[in-house]
Amino acid sequence: MHIPDGYVNLSVAVTVAVVTVVVLAVAARRVDGDIDGERAPLVGVVAAGIFAAQMLNWPIPGGTSAHFVGGALAAVLLGPHLGALAVATVVTVQSLVFGDGGVVVLGANVFNMAVIEVYVGYAVYRLLAPYSRFGAAFAAGWLGITAGAVAAALQLGVSSAFAYETLTVLAVMGVSHLLLGLVEGAITAVVSRSLVDARPDLWPDRTEVSAR
Amino acid sequence: MTESGTPDGPDGPDASPGGRTGGPPDWFRSALLVLLALVVLAPVFGWAAGQVGYAEPMENAAEATGAADQADALHHGLMPDYSVPGLGSAAGTLVAALAGTALTLAVATGFGRLLANGNGAD
Repeated sequence: MHIPDGYVNLSVAVTVAVVTVVVLAVAARRVDGDIDGERAPLVGVVAAGIFAAQMLNWPIPGGTSAHFVGGALAAVLLGPHLGALAVATVVTVQSLVFGDGGVVVLGANVFNMAVIEVYVGYAVYRLLAPYSRFGAAFAAGWLGITAGAVAAALQLGVSSAFAYETLTVLAVMGVSHLLLGLVEGAITAVVSRSLVDARPDLWPDRTEVSAR
Repeated sequence: MTESGTPDGPDGPDASPGGRTGGPPDWFRSALLVLLALVVLAPVFGWAAGQVGYAEPMENAAEATGAADQADALHHGLMPDYSVPGLGSAAGTLVAALAGTALTLAVATGFGRLLANGNGAD
């Protein structure tokens, strides 16, 4: 889902980048003071874990596969604002150091994976957590990565490199990620449950989430 | 290393891990081990992805619409495509995974400290 340079029209890349900067600035303001110094390394560990997990491409035979993106997991563990900043760090390091995802299109890649997947994933999690936290985390990962892929498909589909074939791109990327997203959902649910079970004191208490 | 031997103060062992001395929290060592395990898996998954002909849906969409040759790498980065120039593919992936994970850990922890209220910020 990391878009290389040349795929998205410059106007699209710039527009999405501006939106991304605004969203992350608001996120940073919202989170300011929310965590204490002792839990600051948690943001680093979650981001580093997502970076490492993103390198593990799922070896699904047949030529179409994906890797874990982790936006929904970051949202469930850290809350949406810190989650967005953590995944934005990952996507930026990937682009600047490893050439994974373009530089001009960096804002769009951050938008798809660190804004859309994180906030859509978090919304799904909040909606379903009162019924089952495990199920809610699964749905958050599944629908979060699908939403991120749809956002990427829209940016690509309105660009000249993809011959403005928006519907084709949406169909290929949307349907594939809806299926592959089941793996993202499973990882999100299993990892979030084991981390919360292992150290319930470390993660923000989301019991108020289920109360609503 | 100080998992159970060090008194943690009146708040109990979990409430204030490592906070008073400014050292790393008690869970940090286990977290690093988990990260290291993921890093070691990277070359294994890299090999497996090559075996199955890994391609992402976006690449398929690029093939379908003729966009594939429009990709234009303006910037390759220090370790292009998670490899280290001059190192073999498995060793390069391992070094890239280690360096990227460490860098991400450092930068995101820095963000966490900047945004934390007071006591953790230097």
